[in-house]
Amino acid sequence: MTDRSSQLPYGVGRLGVGFWLFMAAMAGVFGVGVYAYAHELQAGPGSSGMRNLGDDAGAAWGMYIVFYVFFVGVSFPGITLAALIRLMRIRVLEPIARLAELLAVISLLLAGLAVVADLGRPMDGLILLPKFARPMSPFFGTFTLVIAGYFFASFVYLYLTSRRDMAACAKVPSRLRWLHRLWAAGYRDTPGERSRHDHATFWLALLIIPLLITAHSTLGFVFGIQVGRPGWFGTLQAPAFVVLAGVSGVGFSILLVALLRKVMHLEHVISERVFPWLGNFLWVLSAIYIYFMISEWLTVSYAGREIAKDVEHSLTLGPYAVPFYITIGTLAAAFVLPLIGFLTRRWSMWLLIPAGICANVAAVLKRYVLVVSSQTHGSLLGETPGSYAPAWGEYAVIAGLFALGAMLYAAFLKAFPIVPVVGHDDEPIEKAAPDRAHGRRLVLFWATLTAGIVLATAGFQLSPGDVPRAGVPYAPVLFIVGVMLMFLSAIVYELVPAKDAAELPAADPPAADQPQGES
Amino acid sequence: MSKGRGPDRRNLLGALAASLGAIVGLFVAPRLAGGRRNGSKAHAEGTDADQRTRRWGMVIDLDRCTGCGACSVACRSENNVPTGGPGDKWRGRRIDWMHLRRTTDGKFPNVRTSVFPMPCNQCEDPACIRVCPVGATYLNEEGLVAQIWDQCIGCRYCMMACPYSRRYFNWFEPEWPESHRNMLNPEVATRPVGVVEKCTFCHHRIRNAQQQARIDGRKLADGDVQTACQEVCPARAIKFGDLDDPNSEVAKLAASPRAFRMLEDVGTKPKVYYLAKDWTP
Repeated sequence: MTDRSSQLPYGVGRLGVGFWLFMAAMAGVFGVGVYAYAHELQAGPGSSGMRNLGDDAGAAWGMYIVFYVFFVGVSFPGITLAALIRLMRIRVLEPIARLAELLAVISLLLAGLAVVADLGRPMDGLILLPKFARPMSPFFGTFTLVIAGYFFASFVYLYLTSRRDMAACAKVPSRLRWLHRLWAAGYRDTPGERSRHDHATFWLALLIIPLLITAHSTLGFVFGIQVGRPGWFGTLQAPAFVVLAGVSGVGFSILLVALLRKVMHLEHVISERVFPWLGNFLWVLSAIYIYFMISEWLTVSYAGREIAKDVEHSLTLGPYAVPFYITIGTLAAAFVLPLIGFLTRRWSMWLLIPAGICANVAAVLKRYVLVVSSQTHGSLLGETPGSYAPAWGEYAVIAGLFALGAMLYAAFLKAFPIVPVVGHDDEPIEKAAPDRAHGRRLVLFWATLTAGIVLATAGFQLSPGDVPRAGVPYAPVLFIVGVMLMFLSAIVYELVPAKDAAELPAADPPAADQPQGES
Repeated sequence: MSKGRGPDRRNLLGALAASLGAIVGLFVAPRLAGGRRNGSKAHAEGTDADQRTRRWGMVIDLDRCTGCGACSVACRSENNVPTGGPGDKWRGRRIDWMHLRRTTDGKFPNVRTSVFPMPCNQCEDPACIRVCPVGATYLNEEGLVAQIWDQCIGCRYCMMACPYSRRYFNWFEPEWPESHRNMLNPEVATRPVGVVEKCTFCHHRIRNAQQQARIDGRKLADGDVQTACQEVCPARAIKFGDLDDPNSEVAKLAASPRAFRMLEDVGTKPKVYYLAKDWTP
């Protein structure tokens, strides 16, 4: 087969020197992270900076949990943007949907790795969590809904929305043709296919949003229900986590879009009009989060218990003052800079890129001060405050996770087009006449969806309650499989092939765009 | 055969009805089956000859306590608590099931130092068991916050939840001095690195006493069970027994006007009572 990878769009299949240098650098950082984690496994979790709670002790949750929450937060706009683009037909944002979806999938993977890295017995955790996870623990929601359900739903959405472009790429004989064909799974770009895709993605987008809100709220509840930890306990944690996830995720998306647009010369595909949308999302979400922070501070400082004030004091005047005020400053910048763009109607990169960076710095530092301060200074017994200083290994593992994410993203960029290839998105979706397979398709769809609901319910009910090991072993897996099946039904609906001679394919699908500059 | 783009109405109604029926059935069936999953009384382990389960509790008389630390040492010895060491490596990482908390109030020369021996409070509504993702810690029928150490995955969520900071994580592989290894108590399992542990109210001593009572064909009497800390206290400041037995010493002392519990307003219902004539929270 003649390899015509050069005809694939947007640098797909072309691995230049720049790519290999980048991957080598990331692999090096990832290698250091792996070494650091192996060292921690061998020497014990005590080789980190974490310690017990109590008098003159420290924090038992540190950087791994901070970045676990960060990575889950970065995944938030990935699917939210993709879902909103679909539901509200925001055409100008469609070119960035796939890169946002991919960001969501990869960041959720990194979140899972971060939390496993934090476990004292990770191998046992990987077995015991699927076997005995308890729905009553907020970690159940984190483990099942976030890492499994949300990750899988994001992957399904990414898969379905990419099939059309994969089918276009599969027409070009290249080394990656097998992958493109596999991914496209027989997509033929007929009116019927487009109609079914439109329908499936509508409902998928609609149902992913409550899953997303639930999943992020569960993360907030991990902290918010802890009556024994002043600074954590409160009703605002769940909504605050959702909003801060939006802030950091939109900020990260701005940086990613700007970077890819520049490096891959996508200016003609990703319009500049994308940035006002992202900028507006950013200042609105930042404003909401600032409001939450003010509300919380006023409540505690006005009428909080003395013990709760100790935590506030540690942030405003104590050992966490520096990161706390940097958080305030960067959050304010993430609000003010895009607001300037909104008010002046001039969206310069000099506003947006610093805003994106500030949003992420604020998100990391806010989570750091939240997670750590309530452990070292949040004691209902008035214990002597402790301290937490991350060890080199923790930094190395986190850097390794970022490097892994960068490698996966870059690999995807070379395997699939990151922006739409087939460019007739403005065509109205025709209502196609049903084909002979439509009845069978519906039966399979409903059977999959029903099986998913039943399994998820059964798995939830059969999971252990208060009596340990009393539920059915691996019932949590049933729950996860049920949730996955519910989302898999969308794939079933789209993939059951048409079977009608009356359903003729549309005019020959347009060829892939001309090759673009390499990254 | 469907006629439009959307789902066929009959298919939709059928599938919804089937799902609803399945969901209702799956929710109802476990409850009809007796709800063994949650708080079942099907097997009350360790009940003695009179088939009564206990509500184990402790009373610590702060007016007798001298702060000598014998209770803490005895506990470490009895329960194979690993030793720590000096230096920053061990700061905040030592395991101390019976922790002596020293607080100082006032300014020189009017200084008052209090010593609080603090075991696990074995709460009746513990915050820690709710959050454990794998059920490695749970409330058993005798009111003990029990642990299954080999079920623990080391997430440390229970440590976050405990308002009294009575749980400890094994940050390193446990070690004992060479001289101590032959003195480990074979009745208490050692815990590996990566596992959270805490005071168990000498659960193994409770089991032994109950077994002996069964063998002897008698009821377990007040005073049959002595925790290691109670046994060794020279001031006899620690009492242990069944709070549900109105004739037990702990039940009478818990009703004393000197009695108080830590953080009573938090709602955990701790079962360690402290006695002090003058104590300001």
